[in-house]
Amino acid sequence: MENWTKRIFLTATLLCLVTPVHLAYAQEKKPVQVIEPDLERRSTKIADIDTENIEIGVFHGIISIEDFSSNTVTGARVAYHLTEDLFFEGSYGSSEGDLTSFEKLSGGSPLLSDEDREYTYYDISLGWNFLPSETFVGKKLAFNSAFYVIGGVGSTKFAGDNWFTVSIGVGYRLLMTDMIAWHVDMKDRVFDRDTLGKEELSNNLEFTTGITVFF
Amino acid sequence: MIRCFIISLVVVLSTITKTVYAGGWFGDKEDILAVVADAYIEMRTGPGRAYPVFYIAERGDTIEILKQRTDWFKIRTRKLATRSDGTDNNKEGWAYVDDVARLLDTSGQLIGLDHPQLADFSQRDWEGGMMLGSFGSTDEISVYGAYHFTAHLSVELSASESFGNISNGAAASLSIVHQPFPHLRYSPFFTLGGGVRKTEPKSNLVSTEDRTDDTVNVGAGVRIYLTRSLLIRLQYKNHVVLTSRDDDEEVEEWKIGLSAFF
Repeated sequence: MENWTKRIFLTATLLCLVTPVHLAYAQEKKPVQVIEPDLERRSTKIADIDTENIEIGVFHGIISIEDFSSNTVTGARVAYHLTEDLFFEGSYGSSEGDLTSFEKLSGGSPLLSDEDREYTYYDISLGWNFLPSETFVGKKLAFNSAFYVIGGVGSTKFAGDNWFTVSIGVGYRLLMTDMIAWHVDMKDRVFDRDTLGKEELSNNLEFTTGITVFF
Repeated sequence: MIRCFIISLVVVLSTITKTVYAGGWFGDKEDILAVVADAYIEMRTGPGRAYPVFYIAERGDTIEILKQRTDWFKIRTRKLATRSDGTDNNKEGWAYVDDVARLLDTSGQLIGLDHPQLADFSQRDWEGGMMLGSFGSTDEISVYGAYHFTAHLSVELSASESFGNISNGAAASLSIVHQPFPHLRYSPFFTLGGGVRKTEPKSNLVSTEDRTDDTVNVGAGVRIYLTRSLLIRLQYKNHVVLTSRDDDEEVEEWKIGLSAFF
């Protein structure tokens, strides 16, 4: 038994000694040919994945300019989606104030010049998709959609001045495809103005619909 | 105001350009393939946790990564079998970033994606956001975009509009920002810049001329990392408006803002 164990150890030791010598000898004799594998290593390039977090679009609708009647409004918007819940949005719109009831009834000279009746605004907002869901049309067709609340600050140019404006609203986004969305928005744009003598709070409700594209 | 809008549009457009190029619109596009290594990966009908799981890809399935929206990836299964009517069984759906991260790429390694986190906060290239506060006695809103050359040094372009009782104003400024400790969650910064400011007296005042002045400013603030790529920014700036009158005007600005980094 003892002999047998010794033999195993001896053989192992011998093998350990011989193998490197043998390998070294072989290496001396034959120059090792290094072959470059003709194989392109490919790994997934994360940077190549197309990110679609930006949404650009146009909208059209109606805005009620306090005291100056309702009129059509047209604009554009850009949004950046931070997470599935939150997004930044910037929008720009333009409309025109009509005559006030007083101007229409009195028949006197208008209170504002045509240029001052132009109503333009921009705002920067933060939106929250608070009700993401699927909208079913019939039995088989389902679209991804979301209700969102949106609020922000901006500027309104009307009656010859720029007014600090706070906007708050709700909207509905329906994704017709992954890239194209249909929006319906209801917003209130509030600002203090002193156009008609004394300072007063002006609420300007806006109802718009639009199309956006994700990039 | 239109100028203000145009400047902010430029900032946004530059971001888009980056996205477009990063997205490889103008490069050769290869399919991005991966293999499911976990027991399964859930596929949802939309990019969000509210959308239902409609399909599960199993271990060993090859999938193609199509695109990303926020933390969600659109993936398509790649099964060779086609039905007798010529259509295939491949499914398209949305998978969450954590699940996609555990896929194996074609060289057998973990994809290892991650959502933006505090560690990325100090390594960002681009930053953009909106701010609200006071400029002297007026309310001011602004948008800005920043490019980070290094973790410590960045250049910032901002556009502002201010609203007061006597006058309104619009301003654009370019600043250099230094942050000594970019790895901190509360990262202080110092800024030095210059720009132009247009002051427009209110229309109901006795007619006075609009004026445009150069300004220089110095300030300090702190960026606070919130979550994902979102941060809060607080800043103080001291502006010197180089007026054409005898004395220059010194104005203090305090602002709070919400920003994102890319």
